[in-house]
Amino acid sequence: MATPAALPPLPFNPARVRSYILRLPLFTRLVLLAIVVFWLLELQTVWAVIEWGALTPDEIGIQSMHRLNTYPFIHVGFFHALLNTVALVPLLERFEAEHGTLTSVALFMGPLSTLPGGLYLLVEKLILHRNTSVVGASVWVFLLLGSEAIRTYKSHPSFSLGTLKIPTWTSPLFACVIVWILVPNTSFLGHLCAILVGYLLGLGYLKFFNPPEKVLRWVEGKLNLLGRLPHYVSVDQKTYGRYGVLPSANNATGERGSPMSYLGSTQRLATLRNLRNNPQFLFIRLPYLLSLLCIVVGVVWLLLLPLDEYSRQTYISENALLPGQVHTYFAGSEQNVFRGYKKELEGLLPEGEARNQADLSPVISEKIQSALRAAGLKVATQNYEYTSAGITHQGQNVYAIVQAPRGDATEAIVLVATWKTVEEELNLNGVSLALTLARYFKRWSLWSKDIIFLITPDSKSGTQAWIDAYHDMHSPSVQSLPLKSGALQGGIVFEYAFDHRFETLHIIYDGVNGQLPNLDLFNTAVAIAGGQMGIGANMQEMWNHDDSYEMRLQTILRGMLKQGFGSASGAHSSFMPYHIDAITLQAKGDGWQDEMALGRTVESLCRSLNNLLEHLHQSFFFYLLMQANRFVSIGTYLPSAMLIAANFTIMAIALWLRTGYDMESSAAAAAVKLEDNKKDEATPKDKPDDAANNKAVVERQLALPLTLVVGFNLLGLAPLYLFNNLHHGHFTIAASFIALVDAVLPLSVAALLARGSAHPPIRQQYLLIKSFSLLLLGLALSALATLNFSLSFMVGLLCVPLTFVDRISCSKAPVRIAATLSGLLVLNALSPPAVLVAGCHYAGVSVESVLTHAAFGWDVWGSWTPVVVWCVWWPAWLVGCVLLGVSLF
Amino acid sequence: MTLLFTLFLSLICLVAASDYHERLELQPLPAGSLLASFNFRSNASQQSFDQQHFRYFPRSLGQILQHAHTKELHLRFTTGRWDAESWGTRPWNGTREGGTGVELWAWIDAANAEDAFAHWITLTQSLSGLFCASLNFIDSTRTTRPVATFEPEGDHHASDADGSLPLHLLHGTLPGEVVCTENLTPFLKLLPCKGKAGISSLFDGHKLFDASWQSMSVDIRPLCPDDGSECVVQIEQAVDMVLDIDRSKRPRDNPIPRPVPDDQLLCDTSKPYHSHDTCYPLDKTTDKSWSLTEVFGRSLNGVCSPAHDADSSDEEEEGSVCLHVPHERDVFISPGAVEKKNLEETSRCFTLQPSGTFDLVLSEQDENHHRHSALETPVLSAERTMIGHGQERGGMRIIFDNPSATDSVDFIYFEALPWFLRPYLHTLQATVTGHNDRIPRSIPTAQIIKESFYRPAIDRQRGTQLELALSVPPASRVTLTYDFEKAILRYTEYPPDANRGFNVAPAVIKLAASNNHAYLRTTSLLLPLPTPDFSMPYNVIILTSTVIALAFGSIFNLLTRRFVAAEQAEALGSQTLKGRIGKGLLSLRDRVKRKTKTE
Repeated sequence: MATPAALPPLPFNPARVRSYILRLPLFTRLVLLAIVVFWLLELQTVWAVIEWGALTPDEIGIQSMHRLNTYPFIHVGFFHALLNTVALVPLLERFEAEHGTLTSVALFMGPLSTLPGGLYLLVEKLILHRNTSVVGASVWVFLLLGSEAIRTYKSHPSFSLGTLKIPTWTSPLFACVIVWILVPNTSFLGHLCAILVGYLLGLGYLKFFNPPEKVLRWVEGKLNLLGRLPHYVSVDQKTYGRYGVLPSANNATGERGSPMSYLGSTQRLATLRNLRNNPQFLFIRLPYLLSLLCIVVGVVWLLLLPLDEYSRQTYISENALLPGQVHTYFAGSEQNVFRGYKKELEGLLPEGEARNQADLSPVISEKIQSALRAAGLKVATQNYEYTSAGITHQGQNVYAIVQAPRGDATEAIVLVATWKTVEEELNLNGVSLALTLARYFKRWSLWSKDIIFLITPDSKSGTQAWIDAYHDMHSPSVQSLPLKSGALQGGIVFEYAFDHRFETLHIIYDGVNGQLPNLDLFNTAVAIAGGQMGIGANMQEMWNHDDSYEMRLQTILRGMLKQGFGSASGAHSSFMPYHIDAITLQAKGDGWQDEMALGRTVESLCRSLNNLLEHLHQSFFFYLLMQANRFVSIGTYLPSAMLIAANFTIMAIALWLRTGYDMESSAAAAAVKLEDNKKDEATPKDKPDDAANNKAVVERQLALPLTLVVGFNLLGLAPLYLFNNLHHGHFTIAASFIALVDAVLPLSVAALLARGSAHPPIRQQYLLIKSFSLLLLGLALSALATLNFSLSFMVGLLCVPLTFVDRISCSKAPVRIAATLSGLLVLNALSPPAVLVAGCHYAGVSVESVLTHAAFGWDVWGSWTPVVVWCVWWPAWLVGCVLLGVSLF
Repeated sequence: MTLLFTLFLSLICLVAASDYHERLELQPLPAGSLLASFNFRSNASQQSFDQQHFRYFPRSLGQILQHAHTKELHLRFTTGRWDAESWGTRPWNGTREGGTGVELWAWIDAANAEDAFAHWITLTQSLSGLFCASLNFIDSTRTTRPVATFEPEGDHHASDADGSLPLHLLHGTLPGEVVCTENLTPFLKLLPCKGKAGISSLFDGHKLFDASWQSMSVDIRPLCPDDGSECVVQIEQAVDMVLDIDRSKRPRDNPIPRPVPDDQLLCDTSKPYHSHDTCYPLDKTTDKSWSLTEVFGRSLNGVCSPAHDADSSDEEEEGSVCLHVPHERDVFISPGAVEKKNLEETSRCFTLQPSGTFDLVLSEQDENHHRHSALETPVLSAERTMIGHGQERGGMRIIFDNPSATDSVDFIYFEALPWFLRPYLHTLQATVTGHNDRIPRSIPTAQIIKESFYRPAIDRQRGTQLELALSVPPASRVTLTYDFEKAILRYTEYPPDANRGFNVAPAVIKLAASNNHAYLRTTSLLLPLPTPDFSMPYNVIILTSTVIALAFGSIFNLLTRRFVAAEQAEALGSQTLKGRIGKGLLSLRDRVKRKTKTE
């Protein structure tokens, strides 16, 4: 008897829809069947159905008269067919109910398809002299609409819009025009012809096509159609009036065919009813299926992205940039100057092997300052010091400003040359190039923005210290900047860490916390390097990108991995949190491009940025690049991470609903209800049954689940603090300790839960624990997906087992324990420390260095990947383990 | 440069009833720059001014002033920034320059503030037309009434004695205005010789607006001599610019600073690695050679002396072109001009021939160390920047640096902020950093700020006005910071280039240490506000509006117009009301005529 209390009310009554579909009369069904069959036929390639059956003016002859009848059944695609079917069914059903099946067959196989078709041919061929082929049932839709409109017109001549009176018969015309505007490739003329014929039909001018009733009755009687055909609408039983006969009356009097139909479809009916009335399926199996579906679709979605259909060619959005439109003059004697600066700096470096390890010493810093000062720039320095994981990073930034000759320090561009590249190599060429460029840029009067040359001792901390101080957001260990300029519009870092010539430019674009620079900046760099300078541009260390699916996917995945880690990928990364777009250009490979080519690229980039009237804002800030000139934008890729995150939320909501009523009693009730429903089919089934509901509703016991989930989430702060404040020497031990905690803590909590108190938690509480934990996870991940897609996706994938992990309630103890232990093993293999160790092992780096890097990211760059790991992922994982562990006891 | 200033003061005192003076001061600055100060000054007696009897005073401007009841007017067009570190103190002590963009302040006589504002709007609208500048955008949100920052330069006591209306000072700035040739042309038209003769013939838009720093000013003030003679209205126009000599000398058809040929590269040959393809560049230590024609792109055409009867005053003057270089330096001038060296051995002036061109050539010479020491360090340097990040709030940081080891500096700091920047004055904090220890110390603001005047903003009606009387102790650097919040604008209030940011007008600093005032201004700022994504709705609106406008226009036209043949048109015309009345009148006239005939 019970309708589950927690069942959400549906927006429509499914029973009525079902009964409507089941009551569809014969001809309508046949038409539907024909449409589906023709659509299926189109899927094969041997026989071109559309060419065979379309109404093509030039093809019409005696041989191909069938076109006049076939074209309404044929559609050009699934959506075409679907939409037309949806529109046609109610209209055709009504027509048939009114006129009877035989009349409908006679009319629709005859005049009602040939007349509009002929009219269309006439106009299209003889008047317009065009040859547009048409297909689709929309002709009938509009025809029937037209006839309906005439009938409406007879009862309601007009409807008023304000003071305006609009005759109702025009409504199909409006519909036609709107369809014509909104839906591409619709034949306005075809629809118009159909409406015209519809009008004629409605006005009764086509009555003479109706076969005489006597004949029909005779045929019917002779062949006993009524008895043989299901759903047949007899001549006698046709209904009149706009709304036909009420369903109840229908049931009682008319439709002699309906009992037959019920007999045929009882099986299907039962499944449908089961779906609705079987809480076992609705609350227990369906969520798992949905979650699984979400995960599978999410992953497949990501794998589809590299295809041409889902990705786009990059383009320059900001017209002001005009990449590569200027002639670059950085050549000639500037190279002599470059060599001069380089030799001068080389002279200050130690000889031999130590050369590549040389730091930016005060002597070199002095030399750089004097060179910049001699070039006529304003020079300043900044000392900084960071301590992270017991390691002190300190250095001195040197920077100089080329003041825009007629500017007012309102805007600026930053050019950065780091003394040490991202790979910790000596960037001597880059620094010398910066000095040469500074001297060269000073002579130009066209700069609309100040150009700041920044030389930092390393790629990790130098720019961070500088940009923090630029916005006065620096820590006390970092000096303030004595010299400043205006709002920064863009940043370019260039690295050239070897002495031979280079082949390609490697562009790094990832920022801290997965932030990306405006795609326009990246595109400009690619366009200038490739188009103007003839230097290839690479990214994500994909040196041999052949534009194949595998390569594209690999590029995307590499980008996602970098984005997901959320650490800085170069000196440019520090600019991103301040909404300053920046990229790093690395000279790579062995080719024939010299340092002047890099200089010209930077010059051209500077000129493009100099053109900017507004801050870069036109193009995308969220994208995945799969090649230097192909990308996917957030609208396309976001659903994949969202689906993964949604799988947790779906499960959490389902669990919450499931805990709301008593499973045992309702399962029994469902069986009773099934029989019950068979008896009174016509009555609405959602009639509330109070007694049964009260029985099913159960009070939720929230205290324990809430405490446990909140407690675990707060516990996440402990490793977060630990890993960000330990000395780097203790990191390996700490990681092992956490791994140990991972193994012991869930089991002990599980034991405590199951055995610790006199009243062990009931099943409902376990479900609630899981529900809350997954709800938090789903919330956090879906919010994170909009900020750092990759991190959300990665954590989501690693957490997937948590959706399916539950207390195993198998009565056989050995089976249960074996299943639990294997489950725990799998979960432990996917725990944060295990993933960390596995990842380090795979990448061939030590755990300590990774954790030191992470701590540095937390302390200096402000990356919040550790927060996601320890406060989102880890607590959810712990809860999953506890739930599984409980089944041991 | 104080020299210039004293000179200027002495000039002010020389007031004649109706005359015209012009003067060009050239001073080479370090780092290959040249400061050129043009000054044009003319008078009109108060009586003739009132009667609109203008001689040298531009009539267009005079009528505007009378119409807008403006007694004293100061208008500034400025671009670039003065590099005090390498160029020293500002010309005219900063009194003849404004903040970046356009700055205008005026004393208007009116019965009350509302009337004064109405006159002010009249004034800005008229000046906007006259100077081709967007001065009409100085609305109530950009207008302030500074209390202590500006003082009238003219003598207004006489008018007060008449019991006439009180004077109101109004001040407005347009920091985003780009000053260019369209402003120079009307500026030149105000001059008697209109850029055809005299020093104004040197003005070439290409060179003037290629200057590193440049300021045009118009000052109008009533002056009443102490001896009780008749008051005069004086107009003074000045153009100051700092030209980069290298850049100015580039020919106009080839202005690109290409890399020099290898052999012309100046290298440090003492370096061990020096070779034909390796060169450590050497900075030039010589004063560059230049001539007037090279630097300005034109030569000086004669003398502008519209007053033939005023020869006497010309003779008194030292000459209309003055050059501030030591006497040791060789200067070649065109024949006919007379050179007069002054006694301080730092400058010389030239009296030009009434006709014919004048040129002046300085040869290249080793840099003179003597002159470098003469570079005066400014009394105070100020820097204002925005701090913080994000779309919601930010902060302002103003740094005042007093280089003097002994004297503290008192000054007035004036800042007009747009209404959408909402400062939190309670967050105003001051830190002092000594030049010696370089340790910032927080101090109560009362120690630094002597007095303050604060007029909070009203949304969309007026901006914030903040005037602080400050004192910076010797050899120290004072940092003032305050937080502000960024308002969210209505979407129609955004300019077309919303993502550029919004200009915040430069702050004005009036140094009150000496009896003659000195001003300096900070750079203008760019305030990024939270901006919606305009492109999508704009594209849609623009596209649909265009289509609808085109379709509607032509269809409406076709619908309302009647197409008739030319012959029909006349017949149709008779059926209209006008045609009928005309016909009726005709028949009436005929009838009357007939009657008279019958009689």
